Amino acid sequence: MTISLAQSDLAQSGLAQVGRTLLSIGGVVAVWWLIAASGLVNPDLFPTPDAVWLAAMDLYQEGILLSDMGTSLTRAAIGFLIGAIGGVLVGLLTARTRVIGFALNPLLTLLRPIPAIALVPLAIVWFGIGEGSKYFVIAYTVFLAVWLNTHHGTSSVANTYIRASRSLGASTPREFFEVVVPAAAPHIVAGLRMGAALAFLSLVAAELSGASSGIGFRIQEARQFIQTDRMFVGLIELGLLGAALDLFFVSLSRRLVHWEHL
Amino acid sequence: MAANLHDIATSGEVVIQGATIHYQGPNGPVQVLSATDLTLSSGSFTALIGPSGCGKSTLLNAIAGFVRPSGGTIRVDGRPVTGPSPEVGVVFQQYALFPWFTARGNIEFALKRFGLSRAERREAALEALAEVGLHGRAETYPGQLSGGMKQRVALARTLASKPKVLLMDEPFGALDAQTRVSMHELLLRVMDAHRSTVLFVTHDVDEGLVLADRAHVMSATPGRIIDTLELGERRNRSVDKVDTAYIANRNRIMGLLRHREDEPAAALPRRATA
Repeated sequence: MTISLAQSDLAQSGLAQVGRTLLSIGGVVAVWWLIAASGLVNPDLFPTPDAVWLAAMDLYQEGILLSDMGTSLTRAAIGFLIGAIGGVLVGLLTARTRVIGFALNPLLTLLRPIPAIALVPLAIVWFGIGEGSKYFVIAYTVFLAVWLNTHHGTSSVANTYIRASRSLGASTPREFFEVVVPAAAPHIVAGLRMGAALAFLSLVAAELSGASSGIGFRIQEARQFIQTDRMFVGLIELGLLGAALDLFFVSLSRRLVHWEHL
Repeated sequence: MAANLHDIATSGEVVIQGATIHYQGPNGPVQVLSATDLTLSSGSFTALIGPSGCGKSTLLNAIAGFVRPSGGTIRVDGRPVTGPSPEVGVVFQQYALFPWFTARGNIEFALKRFGLSRAERREAALEALAEVGLHGRAETYPGQLSGGMKQRVALARTLASKPKVLLMDEPFGALDAQTRVSMHELLLRVMDAHRSTVLFVTHDVDEGLVLADRAHVMSATPGRIIDTLELGERRNRSVDKVDTAYIANRNRIMGLLRHREDEPAAALPRRATA
């Protein structure tokens, strides 16, 4: 009873959310169109919404739009998977093994401020101009975010959970998998969500320098021909994909750590 | 020692001899429990009553194996306590239910040490929930339960691991007065069936007097037992009836606690440095 009520509430607020989002986007496009049509700005530098739409249709018909999206998403996904799996495993290890934690935490503090884009030249030297360097840059940034969150979540598990588990006779492996990991799960999932956003940011960094396909490359390519309409297409693609990815992770988190949302 | 033979013969007997506990404070170790002797005989229900900071929870944590005493011994059935064990169950004030498991899942967690089949475990968990009046709530998550229900699940979970000793650390402290009274009745009913040795820590004098066979009164700085009251057979008392002996006991404990509070502050440091 309470659950079905909550679901209908959710559906209603979901509908309202969609309405608000459409309204907001419509408003932005309207303002954009007004500025572009006002004649105050050079249309070659600041294209109108319909010019951007036509450019998108061109790219679509050339087959580039979808193939770029596919290439970029594949890169982001592979880099994300490598970084996320590594980050979760290392985070669990550093948080539960005191010696390793002591040794690695200062390193983490030093590595964190290094932006992904600064790594691109090194990645190209190490892994060449192909896919390897992209995976490396993406995996690295995802790894740091996921590691940090996993480490934090796992090392701050409430002491009463551990005490309860031990006095109920749980073995160390059972304590780890049935108590520590679920207790840390909300932090781990938050880390994955942040990692997904970072995967996208570093993907573009990697594609802007040294790539022959992908959304980031297409933006860079358009610069050489001053095709701002195509640049806008790329930027909007990035915005939409990033937002969709984030929504996906929010709903994933609702499923994975459902008890946090009760 | 002759006492050791006796220890082995009984079950769920806790013997504490000269246990002291220190915490590492910013200015060196702070004594939170001065040398304490205490015996919880098999199947008894003992209340530990005292103000906050008197070391009653610390003593409980030491029996549970969460805190190591800095001196003295704590034995359960003759064996020294070296760490948490399912022989000594704990019910926490903050429930400590695992929010990622359902009520049934929480109880099955405690049952896993018995090597039951999945179906047997499920059956036993449902029985344990029914015993605390929550048979319809098996698939509910702790986040969906009221405080009283959570503590009933927690009690069922701890009892499911069949502890010989049950330690309860202000288990009903966060509940409203009405819920607390019904929890007292439930606890007494359930413990009649389980017969573990119970140590019940509380700052509520009435709660201690209603539930226990014996009450120890504690005082702070450093924590120690200052009085022990034999409350007689629980069967002869009831949760909702108060007799003259009850009032006499209540007055005695209240007098002790008030007396400690009224002591001039100047008298305190002398004991604190002991």
